[in-house]
Amino acid sequence: MVINIIDDIEKSIRETAKKLLEEKKVDLIIGYTKGSIPLRSGPCFITDASQTGMLVWNQSCDLNLAKYLAKNDDRKIGIISKGCVGRAIVHLIVEKQLNKENITIIGISCEGVLNRAKIMVEIGDKEIIEANIEDNKIIIKGKDFNKTLPLQDYINQLCITCHYKIPPISDIIIGNKKPEKPPKDDFKDLNEIESKSSNDKMEYFKKELNRCIRCYACREACPMCYCSLCFIDQNKPVWFGKTADISDNFIFHMIRAFHVAGRCVSCGACSSVCPMGIDLNFITRKLEKIVKERFDFESGINLEAPPPMGTHKFDDKQEFMIEED
Amino acid sequence: MMQKMISKEKISDLIKELQKEFKVFGPVKEEGVVLFKEITDAKEICLDYSNSKIPAKSVLFPMIDTLFSYKKEGKGVKIIENPPYEKTVIFGIRPCDSMVFSLFKNFFSFGKYKDPLVLNRLKNITIIGMGCLEPRTTCFCTSVNGGPFNKESVDVLITEFKDNYYLESITDKGEALIKKIKSLTDADKGDLAKIEKLQKDIESAIPVIEGLDGIYTKLDGLFDHPMWKMESQGCIGCGSCTYLCPTCHCFDVLDENKQDGSGRRIRIWDTCQFPLFTLETSGHNPRTTKLPRVRQRIFHKFNYYPKNYNIIGCVGCGRCIINCPVSSDIRNIFISVENISSKTEG
Amino acid sequence: MTDKSKEKSTEEWKPKIIAFLCNWCSYAGADLAGVSRIQYPPNIRVVRVPCTGRINPFFIIKSLAYGWDGILVSGCHPGDCHYISGNYIARRRFAILRDLMTFLGIEPERLNFTWVSAAEGERFAKIVRKTVENVKSVGPNKIFNKKW
Repeated sequence: MVINIIDDIEKSIRETAKKLLEEKKVDLIIGYTKGSIPLRSGPCFITDASQTGMLVWNQSCDLNLAKYLAKNDDRKIGIISKGCVGRAIVHLIVEKQLNKENITIIGISCEGVLNRAKIMVEIGDKEIIEANIEDNKIIIKGKDFNKTLPLQDYINQLCITCHYKIPPISDIIIGNKKPEKPPKDDFKDLNEIESKSSNDKMEYFKKELNRCIRCYACREACPMCYCSLCFIDQNKPVWFGKTADISDNFIFHMIRAFHVAGRCVSCGACSSVCPMGIDLNFITRKLEKIVKERFDFESGINLEAPPPMGTHKFDDKQEFMIEED
Repeated sequence: MMQKMISKEKISDLIKELQKEFKVFGPVKEEGVVLFKEITDAKEICLDYSNSKIPAKSVLFPMIDTLFSYKKEGKGVKIIENPPYEKTVIFGIRPCDSMVFSLFKNFFSFGKYKDPLVLNRLKNITIIGMGCLEPRTTCFCTSVNGGPFNKESVDVLITEFKDNYYLESITDKGEALIKKIKSLTDADKGDLAKIEKLQKDIESAIPVIEGLDGIYTKLDGLFDHPMWKMESQGCIGCGSCTYLCPTCHCFDVLDENKQDGSGRRIRIWDTCQFPLFTLETSGHNPRTTKLPRVRQRIFHKFNYYPKNYNIIGCVGCGRCIINCPVSSDIRNIFISVENISSKTEG
Repeated sequence: MTDKSKEKSTEEWKPKIIAFLCNWCSYAGADLAGVSRIQYPPNIRVVRVPCTGRINPFFIIKSLAYGWDGILVSGCHPGDCHYISGNYIARRRFAILRDLMTFLGIEPERLNFTWVSAAEGERFAKIVRKTVENVKSVGPNKIFNKKW
């Protein structure tokens, strides 16, 4: 393992990628590139060392690149991994979806990505023409307005509570590796919703999910959603409705959440890709909490630990079972 | 042609007057997202918007569209037709989105298959368009035969100028409509020339995309070109681009049943970006990977549409650029197409 | 609605509960309750499954979507599973499902999980009584009613 302690992450990503391609250690580098509009990024696939200048690293790199790794891909792939991308790769290896031999993980320490939906709500239905991040401030320029927002208020909720800034396993690490001990997560951010009555909770989630147009961007961006046929697409028989009606939306999001329980790596990609700005982070956080509290498990940390839904213990808690009085 | 004006403050009077006779749909802000919805309270309308998140096609072609309902009665089944479509006004639609209405007219009446539902709606809808004073940087309407003040498929065009809205009737339907409205006053003649200049200035400020010129013939030879591999590798295969596209109109037909024996047949939005879209009953799927799906979207809009209807299937609103989760940009595809075809020509 | 009339309406309302019972223990337990002539409320409809591990959470969600007011899932006691570990797998699954559904606002009283062995006819009757009581306390299921 090579550890480079450097400040200019973007520059060293490019250099590392270039070196790996030139030395033919990898055939392909998957990384982030600048999006065509401000505060956006996209994936880029580099096979030629001369193109490594396209690679970027900033707070808008919110996709989970592990999505682009495929089970039957024989190429040697180098992947730019922030903590959650690395976790996703680890978990996919645990689930035997990836071959570790073919993957070179280029770990970068990540300080969190932006919650774009929150920024859009703040500035209203205006277009951002230019956006820069400097000294913990987001400076946004539009046609007839300028706005400066404090960066820490617009970091994704999942990134604030994230304990794994760098991938749990990596072949190369770029950036300051701080092996600081993660603070104990008390899931305080969930208290507000959890203390509501059933009715109010339902109202809250229905209001959020009412906007869903069923484009399935959340599913498609999720590294854990790799089923060849999603339950919602099964039509022999049809299980659940595909309409954008609220009851169908609610069921879809509930089951999708259930299916990633114990597997979700809390990358927040499902929320950040949503074109309607639906906040799915709460559900993600809740899953994290359930699995942590019940089975003391965190996904994508340990290559040896079996996923909680694939194993069991004799003394699992069963306080929810009903008993005769 | 008739020109009238109304001050901005009185716009709710205008809406109220329209509501007496029509169902009025307009831009409404809901949870920070602008949608086209039926206006119940005239104050709800949000005219200070760049463009709606969900295009106004949702009025003509809703996300869930009931074709008919049915109910068990004794041993038989009773079919319940939809209630007749009320006269409707779509207020404040952007000229780019309104282009869709002529596009849909072509599609839903193509050949011997006429869609009675959509065609009936088209007949009953009057479109009051609203000129676009602040086109986004992602807009390219002028490159696809449109424009921020395009009059092609609106009945009335509104232009905002200083403290007033200027209404200009384009069609007979539009003229009949604004003749009836009492809250309008005759337009200030002095401003009309200024408005025309303003419209031209805004229109000329929109960048023109070179590659779009004659893209139809250029695409013809590119079906098997390796460029599609490059363009599709980042795509995650969601339906954001097509669902939020004002011109996409693919649908799926489903039956929904309730426990009490009643049910309905509905039409919901579907998209060529999903593998299930092309899955055949035999189990064969002609488009199994992302590559042909991404290519299909471009070919449908820029090659098949011009071939079938002699019109480009894109209005240049830029929604697919703004909403793409992986920030893939349709304009880059135009550039690639242009580069490749200029290379082969040279 | 006054409190009195509310009380009256819940009294009249009979919840419909779907019970998924495993073939080897709970179904036999229910059978024993029947042959022993133990009285229990007639609100449940039984679906026999090979093992609780067979129960896909879809069954539960689909039942709620179809308008069933409550769910009862019952299998073999831990250690007794005919297939050795089916009920352990099911236990983890239901724990997560119940926590998640509660978080999303579905009343946990609708989701009843328990163990009943083939020898526990009396216990089965008591569990059904308890389940009916639980479901009655939250009222009819209107969660997934479609507007049309």
